[in-house]
Amino acid sequence: MASISLKRITSTWIITVMVLFVIAILFGITMRFNQGKLIQISPTSFYSIMTVHGLTMIGIWSVAGLAAIHYLLSRYLSIPTSISVFAFIFTVLGVVMLWSSAFIGEFHAGWTFLYPLPFKVAWKSWATPLFLSGLAVLGVAWLVWSVGILYQILKKYTITQTLGWQHFSTNPSIETPPLILISTVSLIGIIVCLLSAVVLLVLFFAEYFSNGAYSNDPLLMKNITYFFGHTIANETLYLGLASLYELMPEISKKPKFKTTWYVALAWNCTLVFILTAFFHHLYMDFVQPLGFQMIGQLASYFASLPAAAVTAFSVAVLVYKNQIRWSLSNILFFLGVMGWIIGGIGALIDATISNNIILHNTLWVPAHFHTYNAMGNVLFSLAFFVWVANDFSDLPVDSGIPKFIISLLVLGGFGFVLMFYLGGAMSIPRRFALYPPEFNNLSWLATLGGWFAVVYLISILFIFFTILKKCLKVFSAS
Amino acid sequence: MKEHTLILLLFLVISIAIMGLFLVIFQSSKIENETGMQNPKKKRFFFFIILASILLVLLSITIPKSPYFQYADNSPAKVVYIAAQQYVFLSSFQAITLDNINTEAIEVPANEVIEFRVTSLDVNHGFAIYNDKAELVTQTQAMPGYINKLRWKFTEPGKYNILCLEFCGGGHSFMRSSFTVK
Ligand code: HEM
Ligand SMILES: [Cu+2]
Repeated sequence: MASISLKRITSTWIITVMVLFVIAILFGITMRFNQGKLIQISPTSFYSIMTVHGLTMIGIWSVAGLAAIHYLLSRYLSIPTSISVFAFIFTVLGVVMLWSSAFIGEFHAGWTFLYPLPFKVAWKSWATPLFLSGLAVLGVAWLVWSVGILYQILKKYTITQTLGWQHFSTNPSIETPPLILISTVSLIGIIVCLLSAVVLLVLFFAEYFSNGAYSNDPLLMKNITYFFGHTIANETLYLGLASLYELMPEISKKPKFKTTWYVALAWNCTLVFILTAFFHHLYMDFVQPLGFQMIGQLASYFASLPAAAVTAFSVAVLVYKNQIRWSLSNILFFLGVMGWIIGGIGALIDATISNNIILHNTLWVPAHFHTYNAMGNVLFSLAFFVWVANDFSDLPVDSGIPKFIISLLVLGGFGFVLMFYLGGAMSIPRRFALYPPEFNNLSWLATLGGWFAVVYLISILFIFFTILKKCLKVFSAS
Repeated sequence: MKEHTLILLLFLVISIAIMGLFLVIFQSSKIENETGMQNPKKKRFFFFIILASILLVLLSITIPKSPYFQYADNSPAKVVYIAAQQYVFLSSFQAITLDNINTEAIEVPANEVIEFRVTSLDVNHGFAIYNDKAELVTQTQAMPGYINKLRWKFTEPGKYNILCLEFCGGGHSFMRSSFTVK
């Protein structure tokens, strides 16, 4: 059972995430309107905004996923609330440091801060160390939180049980709840990738403080950067799926999902494949060893198969020809699976080396990752928020699908990403503050994409207001 | 049809099919007497086998088309050196290094294999070749300390533009150059 203190910190996370989400969307819309020449900001402001937008989005949906599993796992084990509070304080500190480095210090090396760009100082000289330190603060906070949760899981289950290995035998002695299985797989991934971020930061600081005596290898740094960036973005999505497995059947008033041998197998495969799929970010670095390039395509293809196919199929079995009591939260889960899979198709196309040569770093890239984030992972987290807000208060639970909100969400979200896909197919580069003359006739794509994002934002605001009142209730309850 | 258009169409068709499928599943949840999915285990088995086979077929078709194998056995008719730098591209028929900075206009023959040896003198950049219809033809990365060799055979003469496809700082979107194919 969730204690009142757990409810309060969870509520604090939700409100913080939603406020930052709205601001980050506004940054996104600003970028799109600038690309569409509807407004004009300087390229350096554009890139500061882009850096903050990317980091904030990745950050808030990671913590939203962690906050969700922390809350849900308390049904099975007890996790000290204090680590969530600790993580919150340090997250706020880290965010303030990053935003200051970008908005006051004018730092603008992109959220992937690819080496050696942060050292080519085109901003206040203190902004680079502040940015790197801000990342370090976030890294430590999330590492402590993830390790803390994993530690509690391992106090109750053995490591092989958490990974569901007993389900490979005919008569498993105990059942690992899917929430435990998926949380463990994601937490291991998150911990490994946060450790890689620590290594990356150490290498950055080593060069920074060596005064030219030591310099890093750009290819190695790029590999570590994308190992970190790719992995964190994907594991975050799996955290969202952990809530789906736990909650979607329950909200739909159906029997719980069970871990069986194929569910266990799928998530074990995912654990392995996802750690090597990042190689697809380096396809266009021809000096990268050929073996890694091949592993990149293979792992990308097979990382998507087990988790996605098993989840999609389980959701289909849950819903197909079964009477479902639809509400805002389970329709968000349902739509999220759809968005995730469509984004996954976009990703698979791009992860094919022979396509990557004409899609790499075009708008196809933000197209597919915005699909599985804005129309996938975000919806999983929002579904959890809506469900937990009902858990917080005894205000009446809304039932039925709010058609207006869902229509805006679908129209705005898919319209917004479609403009990116069209841009990508027409070879428009990503991360261009302004488009070169050959794309002048296509600037309407950016403007229209921005307007679709406004529609998406409106539906997000509606959802925010639906849950805000209930989230605030926990602070007045005794 | 152009590759770019084919890719887009393929994606749109699959996406619309997925949306349709989800709509069908959603609509089926509004029935009075529920029956559930018949034979889910068997259906799941075939679902997996079909998906895995599609992926394997796609892998075996696409891997050999990877750029690393293209024109690997030919010897290039011309070698062009490219060095990227915030925010310009230097291009030359001789090697470009920090001690030997030089740049010249490039003209290469059509229907011959050309090799671009691409590097960077500062941060990571991209080296992307666009034709005069603003279509991305091919690309590689420009990484400091490394030389990426990109081979290509231009079938159509004309002016080709070079754009930077790796974020390299405030001037990134203005960084460009061009060359001619005769
Ligand atoms: C409707 C809401 C959103 C809008 C309007 C928006 C808009 C944008 C735009 C215009 C860009 C720059 C594209 C370019 O390269 O030219 C961008 C980049 C990005 N967005 Fe979003 N976005 C939204 C939601 C999200 C969400 C939910 C995520 C979640 C993870 C996200 C993560 C990112 C990341 C990581 C980048 C890359 C930043 C970089 O290149 O350094 N965005 N977004
Ligand atoms: Cu650039």
